[in-house]
Amino acid sequence: MRRATATWLANNDSGNNLPACGGDRVSAGVALAAIAVVTVATAVIGFYGLRISRTTSDFYVASRTVRPWWNASAIGGEYLSAASFLGVAGLILLSGTDALWFPVGYTAGYLMLLLFVAAPLRRSGAYTIPDFTEARLASPAVRRVTSLAVVTVGWLYIVPQLHGAALTIRIATGLPSWVGSVAVVVVVCLTVVAGGMRSITFVQAFQYWLKLTALAVPILFIIFVLAGNETEPLAAPAANPTGAPPAGLYQNVSLLVALLFGTLGLPHVLVRFYTNPDGHSARRTTLIVLGLLSVFYLFPTAYGLVARVFAPGLARAGQPDAMVLLLPGQLLGGVAGDLLSALVVAGAFAAFLSTTSGLVVSLAGVISQDVLGGSVRGFRLAAVMAVVVPLGFAFMTDSLALAGSVGLVFAFTASTVCPVLLLGIWWRGLTDAGAIAGMLTGGVLCGGAMVVGAVAGTGQTPPWLAQPAAWTVPAAFAVMVVVSRATAHRVPASMPRIMTRLHTPERPLATER
Amino acid sequence: MTRVRVTAPHTAQGIPARTPGQRIPNQRTAGPLESREAAQDSEVGQVFVRSLIRSQLRLALVVAGGFLLILAAFPLVLVLVPGLAESGIAGIPFGWLLLGVGTYPVIGLSAWLYVRTAARNEARYRDLAGEQ
Repeated sequence: MRRATATWLANNDSGNNLPACGGDRVSAGVALAAIAVVTVATAVIGFYGLRISRTTSDFYVASRTVRPWWNASAIGGEYLSAASFLGVAGLILLSGTDALWFPVGYTAGYLMLLLFVAAPLRRSGAYTIPDFTEARLASPAVRRVTSLAVVTVGWLYIVPQLHGAALTIRIATGLPSWVGSVAVVVVVCLTVVAGGMRSITFVQAFQYWLKLTALAVPILFIIFVLAGNETEPLAAPAANPTGAPPAGLYQNVSLLVALLFGTLGLPHVLVRFYTNPDGHSARRTTLIVLGLLSVFYLFPTAYGLVARVFAPGLARAGQPDAMVLLLPGQLLGGVAGDLLSALVVAGAFAAFLSTTSGLVVSLAGVISQDVLGGSVRGFRLAAVMAVVVPLGFAFMTDSLALAGSVGLVFAFTASTVCPVLLLGIWWRGLTDAGAIAGMLTGGVLCGGAMVVGAVAGTGQTPPWLAQPAAWTVPAAFAVMVVVSRATAHRVPASMPRIMTRLHTPERPLATER
Repeated sequence: MTRVRVTAPHTAQGIPARTPGQRIPNQRTAGPLESREAAQDSEVGQVFVRSLIRSQLRLALVVAGGFLLILAAFPLVLVLVPGLAESGIAGIPFGWLLLGVGTYPVIGLSAWLYVRTAARNEARYRDLAGEQ
């Protein structure tokens, strides 16, 4: 346990700012037990699902028979990643109300998904985003470019999950960082390979409620104790614990653009909509998801506010992402602190596992259909491919602020997959040439900004490069529209039929008459 | 409203309901997006479809626009009303309450309104296109 503290402090040269008390670490034994319980529960539910998934269709989209409540919990479980569980609270601790745009944007992104994508995409009947674009634009070339974008997004999104796992393992147990990433990869591979999407649905639904409990119980207990002891606040909520400059208007707007438009292009989010029986239930599911997300995000906000007022020292310790893990120990200490910390660690691990497995399932769907011919064996092989590459990335790169790096992935999605989905669903004039040109433009601009930002390092990049969505998303849309107009003769002949399919209700309701 | 009698070929037998889980992903080259809409191919059918798409798009844009306006108004109110951001309920500053709690009901309400109206648009389409 002492080693845990030492390892963590060695990784933070500003660690001497920590308040001197025993609460700056998590009890290793209890934390390991908590991680083990989450892992075993995940595996058990996964293997239980194995017995009922037999056909290829089961593996891909759970035969589209998942009930809205199950499905909504699963979507929530899959969506709430390391960034939501650890990153948002850490950022709120650092930058106060500016960071509140993250949870608002993550939730509002779902509203945009409901308004523009949910029902039409379900009615398209396609399994993956590349399936959709290929069918809509009657072009295998579009399919290949979309697959490339989707796989890039998925890989980029898995990396911060693995970073989060590495951070959690290091802080919770004092084991080396790589253990965390590898543990997540192994567990995810086993569950996905064993059961595919059907068991994933149950696993994800379970993990939403686990994550909610793991965040809610400790913070409510902390607030209760603080109020009972009439603890004096150490700082005002508005006080800036680090002295870093606040984000400007441009950054907030650009972030919001990325989150609003990025959500509706995320591959692991979209694949969930295929498990609804029809378009209307896809909408109802999304409505429930919005409620679940709204409830969930109250808690990272509460963590941020409580930490800002009662433990501002955690912000100066250099790892704000670890704040959620450390706060119970810091403010409560003793056995209660240990147990609640373990609960938070369990929830954090659930977050890494669920988002990673969701991404792996959807990536494996794309990779296996495009490269390996769409069999169950191909799906299993593809699942392994989907997770090994980001593991390499995670080893090579350092952890940025989790919420920030996930925000960049949203910007990339908003600049590539989002325009082709929105225009494909709502605009008859979209052509294959326009879609390809737009996706490439958005991908090159946003990817370029991300690379330049990564090379220059945080703090060195100007806001327009650090937060590129505000100009890369309009650029992608503009190129897509202009090129489509210029190649209007390429609008496929099947377009009216497909538009009809996307937007008309499933059946003429013969049963009701 | 006068009901237009549509003589599209599909109306007699309706369209068979699909059973879930039947489609096999290998057959994607044939395209999963087929068959159901063949019936709505007629010119009149297309007019109905176009008007359905237009009304759904208009609805989505109105809800999205309204939501974004309210969202933009939140920080504006905090800036324009001096002292509001600092005053608070039970020690929680109003600025935090408004952004951290107050936005979610707005999101939920927008979503609920949308789902209801979108279903109503579809019901109207069914009335026009599906009924004899």
